[in-house]
Amino acid sequence: MIVAEQKSLEEIRRIIAPYEKVLLLGCGTCVTVCGAGGEREVAFLNSALRVAQAKSDDGVHNFSEYTVKRQCDFEFLDVLVDKVNEVDTILSLGCGIGVQVVAERFPDIPILPGVNTSFMGMAKEWGVWDERCAACGDCRLAETAGICPITRCTKGILNGPCAGTKNGKCEANKDMDCAWILIYKRLERLHQLEKMRRYYPPRNFRVIPRPRRIVMKADIEQGEDNG
Amino acid sequence: MANSLFEEKLNSNGFLVTTEIGPPKGADVSEMVHCIDLLKDKVDAINVTDHQSSVMRFPSLGGCLLVKECGGEPIIQVTCRDRNRLALQADLLLAYSRGIKNVLCLTGDSVDVGDHKEAKPVFDLDSVQLLKMARGMESGKDMVGNELKGTPQFCLGASVHPEADFIEPQLIKFEKKVIAGAQFFQTQGIFDLESLKKFMQYASQFNIKILAGIIVLASARMAQYMNDNVPGIIISQAIIDELANVEKGKGLQKGIEIASQFIRTIREENLCHGVHIMAVGKEGIVPDILEAA
Amino acid sequence: MDNEVTNYQNNRMREASHGRSLIPPCQVACPLHMEIGEYVDLVAQGKVLEALQVIREGNPFPSICAYVCTHPCEDACRRSQVDKSIAIRALKRFAVEFGGDRMIELEAETVQSEKVAVVGSGPAGLACAYYLRKLGYPVAIFEAYSELGGMLRVGIPQYRLPREVVDTEVQRLIHMGVEIKTNTRVISIDLLLDMGYKAVFITVGAHQSLRMGIEGEESPGVIDGATFLREVNLGLKPSLGEEVAVVGGGNVAMDAARAAVRLGADKVSILYRRSRTEMPASPDEIEQALEEGVETMFLVAPTKMKRENGRLSVTCVRMELGEPDAGGRRRPVPIEDSEHNMEFDTLITAIGQAPQISEDFRLRLGRGSTIQVDPVTLTTNRTGIFAGGDAVTGPATVTQALASGRQAAFRINDYLRHRYPSVDKEAEETLSGELLPKTIETIRKIERLEPPLLPPEARTKEFKPVELIYNWEAAVDEARRCLRCGMGAEIMFQDKCATCLTCLRICPYHVPYLDEGGTIQIPADQCQACGICVAECPAKAIVLRKPYDRRHIDEELEHALKSAAESKSKPLIIGFCCQYGLFGTGALASLWREGKAGIWIVPVLCVAKLEGGHILRAFEMGAEGVFVAGCGERCSRENTAFWVLQRVEEVRRALSQIGLEQERLQTFNLRAADGDITEALDNFTGRIGGLCLASVMKQEVKS
Repeated sequence: MIVAEQKSLEEIRRIIAPYEKVLLLGCGTCVTVCGAGGEREVAFLNSALRVAQAKSDDGVHNFSEYTVKRQCDFEFLDVLVDKVNEVDTILSLGCGIGVQVVAERFPDIPILPGVNTSFMGMAKEWGVWDERCAACGDCRLAETAGICPITRCTKGILNGPCAGTKNGKCEANKDMDCAWILIYKRLERLHQLEKMRRYYPPRNFRVIPRPRRIVMKADIEQGEDNG
Repeated sequence: MANSLFEEKLNSNGFLVTTEIGPPKGADVSEMVHCIDLLKDKVDAINVTDHQSSVMRFPSLGGCLLVKECGGEPIIQVTCRDRNRLALQADLLLAYSRGIKNVLCLTGDSVDVGDHKEAKPVFDLDSVQLLKMARGMESGKDMVGNELKGTPQFCLGASVHPEADFIEPQLIKFEKKVIAGAQFFQTQGIFDLESLKKFMQYASQFNIKILAGIIVLASARMAQYMNDNVPGIIISQAIIDELANVEKGKGLQKGIEIASQFIRTIREENLCHGVHIMAVGKEGIVPDILEAA
Repeated sequence: MDNEVTNYQNNRMREASHGRSLIPPCQVACPLHMEIGEYVDLVAQGKVLEALQVIREGNPFPSICAYVCTHPCEDACRRSQVDKSIAIRALKRFAVEFGGDRMIELEAETVQSEKVAVVGSGPAGLACAYYLRKLGYPVAIFEAYSELGGMLRVGIPQYRLPREVVDTEVQRLIHMGVEIKTNTRVISIDLLLDMGYKAVFITVGAHQSLRMGIEGEESPGVIDGATFLREVNLGLKPSLGEEVAVVGGGNVAMDAARAAVRLGADKVSILYRRSRTEMPASPDEIEQALEEGVETMFLVAPTKMKRENGRLSVTCVRMELGEPDAGGRRRPVPIEDSEHNMEFDTLITAIGQAPQISEDFRLRLGRGSTIQVDPVTLTTNRTGIFAGGDAVTGPATVTQALASGRQAAFRINDYLRHRYPSVDKEAEETLSGELLPKTIETIRKIERLEPPLLPPEARTKEFKPVELIYNWEAAVDEARRCLRCGMGAEIMFQDKCATCLTCLRICPYHVPYLDEGGTIQIPADQCQACGICVAECPAKAIVLRKPYDRRHIDEELEHALKSAAESKSKPLIIGFCCQYGLFGTGALASLWREGKAGIWIVPVLCVAKLEGGHILRAFEMGAEGVFVAGCGERCSRENTAFWVLQRVEEVRRALSQIGLEQERLQTFNLRAADGDITEALDNFTGRIGGLCLASVMKQEVKS
């Protein structure tokens, strides 16, 4: 799941300042789950922006809100066609993907981001999210006992822990587990420590050209037919 | 055949002494030059640190050139934090071309512990891969197999942490470094000789040289601070207490005493092949320590 | 048509349009299907008038039930799985007394022409007459005795049901225009029909005591329970002598024994042929009888009696319990050669009663001489003749009789209007299922508060009511124990649910779960209706089943804001306070009573249901300060304070980013057990006043 954090009210107020009619657009999928841009957060932001407006004298806005099931596919955005005509801008609380898909779908209206898209991860418990995948495009989890050193080691190193680990925690953040200690312990438990003794060559960054695209459909030339 | 003075000493069976110098934050190197002059004849080689603790400074390579100019034997510390594989190879070529052949290959501290916390951490390689890269260049080819004009030769070192609180994965990595080509190791600061002994029992099976890291502590507060904030440092409470119990102003003296005592014991009991003295910011006291030892 | 009746009839439809509140077990168990959860909750809120209104909608004579109902609702109450059931009957009595039920006057207009006769004025007859009047029929009650009430008057002793209560209800009926014909024994139904009554409701009760069928039963000094109680209740003082035996184990036996104590008998013994666990009398009655000094002899039965030397010599045989009978109770079997004699002055038989129906009624009778009726329409074998109450069921409870009377009124209405009986359909879902052990574990145990009782020594001298009334605080606290069965949360918008698992992770009772298909389920029978998940659901997919719960904060807030705008007092401070804590329970109550100028209280049904948006709305509409006050440790739900503080922090973060001082939002008493918040509130208003002044000055400097 994609994890995001709502931008500060200050920043949001700054970027919406030039526009009068603002549609606050939530997304019902990942950002709902991580509490950054679902219907609840859209409603809260709407209330907070109204308070801000009532308590200051800069700018008069007209806010409306709506939450689609997913912003990252055009089809979900069709319901917005009429609404878009009535507003001056859309503040999307979708992830970076959502913002761009909305922008692509509605080329004639400015789209603003309401959240900072942070990472791909999981909820550790209520209200706590942890990063788990860096989308490196070259998954090594088979060799690292299902624990990703690229994401969870602050240095993303491949051949074992650095000397900075202490009490099983990371030198960069004493609350964070050292990924390599976790990997070692799990490999030991699985009797696979030989995987750690192996030398792993430098990563191949070529697998992540920017931007990336994955084509899953078969490339079938027109006119060709199996029957 | 040894290709550096230090490698020659490594191959002899003498007790090795190295130390390190942290370059200045700024372009004024006069103090560093003074230090080099003070130390160059008292030790077998001088490390120059590479943005130690991720704090931006005068570069290691530049410091090594100064050591060279002053007639000392430099060991360049190279970390993976700030340069990708292109820059690392290029720096090694430059170092070799200027006679800097001793290379200590390190992963590097996390950017988060330093003074440029918003910098992009590179870590394109890790220490093992860096060792392998340097060894690979000695075959006349770069990392991807392209021919090099002129083949460098290095004396490669690495670090090891015998006092890590979870030692097994560190030993696995140590062994990988040996296989990758490390000839000598400077350990992280040693504060407990028992752990050094234990480590040497394991390390003696390899044909490498181990220099025990000696950190000179100036006060109990400094010890505690390093314990809490410097990656890879684990100072026992006994030492902190010993430092805390001396009169005010006598802390450094006590620290020097402790360090010399360590060095003397290591040498007399032949615990390892030498020592690497880290007198952070107080490089000037290294001769005193050696004197006392 | 009158509101109350339509209300009753529409209740089910209204419920069906709520759609989602499930009928709780107490309501199912109540013969009248009263909205118990509703009025208990209203008592908890201190809304005693509204509680009485709900009670009156479901019950024609709540004051009577408040005294004598055997409260099957309490037996069904699921709180008993946690600790003890809610004291529902006592709470009803509280609502009836404090709500001023006796002051309520009812009117009824005659809109129909068909006259209806009600034969018998027990609870079923009175209830039937009540509802028929409400439906607009001319009604006459025929009563053989001199006063109305049937068993209410001649069966139940005064210490359980004061006569004034019955009198009040009878007066109300008269006021409504019911024609009363006392001292009038109906000997022929045909005569009534000849008199022009278009429908007749026969509800003559079950006044005939069953005979033991043993030698000497006719001896002087032997009296049957029904007759004895009738005499006592009509004010006669039968002379009993010193030692009295009562044979039987039901409520009539208890009533007779306790009445005998009050008449001055030195020693009253109950003889019962089974053991205490098999006694059909209600446990409270047995308990109170024992407290009053009544003695019990179990596993013993009289076999013959003889009057000797002015006393009764009673031969008894000892029994043992054998195989269970058809009803599941173990059958008593006489032990051989266990005969022994005991002496008493008086022996009261109370082994059961049956109706006594005149043959001239030409009604088909069934088992135990009861009138046979269709259970749904209450019609007898004769057209236009309906029957109900004990005459149909045999001895039963007052509440069952009331239900039967109400049913008869509606069926008679159907009959007279030539309508197909519109039978109460159980359209809405009922809440079923036991609480799971893990739910029980997490529900806070709160001791049941009983209403005070008259001390036993004070009881035995006279016939005053034994049970006293709760005080305000105790009633509110007792009512707050209600688990709100069937009013819990549900995922209303499955399509919105992102299956984020927030509800599952935060529920203090671990109720939501993920089913095998990966869908979140919130089982209605486990939910405690605290509302935390509703406020936290990031998709706003969860609602509380009761529509009022969904909108009350918005409504109360808008109401307060409107009033505040009209009053213009400054600075405007909005306080979200727990409605449950505003009455009777200490700190918050004082807050309500000592309302200060400029402070507007928005009562909420537990602050856990308060959302950040509500607080922000108050600021948007001009509040200079907002506070949230909960009940602290008196809250009957879990984790309330934690979640309120979470939301308050969320709002404070927003406030500070807007440039408003965080201290403008304050919480009071969220964790503390008790204590006076007046001083803290004074400080708060003082600070807000200061902030308000400062901002005004800033404005002036600007301009």
